[in-house]
Amino acid sequence: MPKFIVYLAQYHQDFRLAELDSLARLEGVAIAYDRAGVVEDSPLLEVEVGSAEEAARLVRRGILVRSIVEYWGSGATYDEVFAEVKQRPERWAEYAQKSFKFTVDSFGRTLSQDDKVAVIESFSFLGFQGPIRMRDPEAEFFVCEDYGESGRSQPNERPRRIWFGRVVGRGSRDLIDVFDVKKRRYLGNTTMDAELSLVMANQALARTGSLVYDPFVGTGSFLLTCAHFGACTVGSDIDGRQIRGTAGFRRGVDGIQANLAQYRVADRVLDTVVFDVCRNPWRPGPLFDAIVTDPPYGVRAGAKRLGRKAGALPERSLRVVDGVANHLRADYYPPTVPYEMSDVIRDLLDLAAEKLVVGGSLVYWLPTVADEYEPEDVPGHPALRLVANSEQPFGAWSRRLITMEKIAPAAATAADSRLAASASPAPAHQNFRDKYFASFGRATAE
Amino acid sequence: MRLITHNMLKCHVKNCTDPDKQFPLRFKDAKLEQIEAERNDEFLVRMLPRIEWAALATTANELGIELPKEVPANPADDDAFLQGLHTAIMEMHVKEGSMLCKGCGHEYKIAKGIPNMLLAEHEI
Repeated sequence: MPKFIVYLAQYHQDFRLAELDSLARLEGVAIAYDRAGVVEDSPLLEVEVGSAEEAARLVRRGILVRSIVEYWGSGATYDEVFAEVKQRPERWAEYAQKSFKFTVDSFGRTLSQDDKVAVIESFSFLGFQGPIRMRDPEAEFFVCEDYGESGRSQPNERPRRIWFGRVVGRGSRDLIDVFDVKKRRYLGNTTMDAELSLVMANQALARTGSLVYDPFVGTGSFLLTCAHFGACTVGSDIDGRQIRGTAGFRRGVDGIQANLAQYRVADRVLDTVVFDVCRNPWRPGPLFDAIVTDPPYGVRAGAKRLGRKAGALPERSLRVVDGVANHLRADYYPPTVPYEMSDVIRDLLDLAAEKLVVGGSLVYWLPTVADEYEPEDVPGHPALRLVANSEQPFGAWSRRLITMEKIAPAAATAADSRLAASASPAPAHQNFRDKYFASFGRATAE
Repeated sequence: MRLITHNMLKCHVKNCTDPDKQFPLRFKDAKLEQIEAERNDEFLVRMLPRIEWAALATTANELGIELPKEVPANPADDDAFLQGLHTAIMEMHVKEGSMLCKGCGHEYKIAKGIPNMLLAEHEI
């Protein structure tokens, strides 16, 4: 298969290949790359894709992908690059008279404008006669010098590798600005940042025709990003104030509803419903193509479920107040108890196993204590396969974006419903809130 | 609240377990509003196997929205059917009112289009 260079964003390194793999599934494009040989900190990845058209399709929704480049040559020196490019002079002819531009980029070292001009001039052997056009050229060529390890005080003298090729497609990083939370009409203090919300929509394979559910919808970020990519979305939350916008930031703007017009997704964000997902009213059987969520950690937003602590006051829902049973009054709010992190996650996996169609995706954040984390902590379920596990570190703690695929129909009997479990008896995310406040709560969080 | 969402929700009160009565919930004092939406045939066709048709048709008819009693043989090619389905499940919104369980009588209130399905503590 023809070779291409994927030019990755230098953000969320651990998420980039997971996203690329998801994009390949989403777009139905077969890709091959040397997983063992991946240079972790390099923004450039050599892949094989069937054609330039497929390559463009592969990356068009990419958030952590800047562009994809038809591979013409690479090497430790420009002489090596030129030698490889000169092996295929027949492909230069097509661009001899076309408008074009060169982009020279570098990683791990800053190039001056003069350096860049010198690089461009060194490619004059290609003999392009067409006009140079900075906007919308017919052909765009890409040079990148990779010096390795950005941010070193003394950059390496020589590049690790120099890459050259023709740009054939671009990702969708401009959406990060479109979904910038600072520009959003309604948001809350746990609203997920735009870049990761968009990556999650890709991990969930959200697309036209699919139905996506967020069981901890909060202020609804994932409803927006998944709907942007064509999916229809529904959300639920135990806290209706977040949905309605009657608490938290920017009150009085009509909550989640206020954002639908801004992002033109009102046709696809179907509904938001107030209930406790522990006691959810979904009818039995598979309903959703994806479940995408940021479960409450209990750090900023206290995780709650309906219930009453043993030994607390007796039930009051049936007490008659002003001639009306308490639970029928307009301002009745049922009591809640804390919802422990490992229970939240187990319930989430059981929910996904029942409510997803086979082939559907579960995408969620698992907060964890960095020092204690072991891969076995990530809960499993017989009906779910782990697809990706990407870490976003915050020092003493980190959160991991977990992607799972439902691979088998859920067992029909209620007795089998609690199948989710960690291989580890005491996973690092257990009692996360207590650990957070006890040991590293003073550090900057989230 | 759209009818597609209504079609996926049942009563979940403790001890209310008769599947024929928990679902569908019956609308009461429903204030309907039609909001135009772009038709999305791919979505409609993909959702058809997941929709409980009898429940949807009954509910729609109770609200004065026309839907056939049964799904036609080739729904994907039936423009009139798809248009009717689109209007019923994607364009009609219940803005105010409530949903009643035929089994236990629980009333789930809908305010500003958002259903409140929280249960009281004696119901969980």
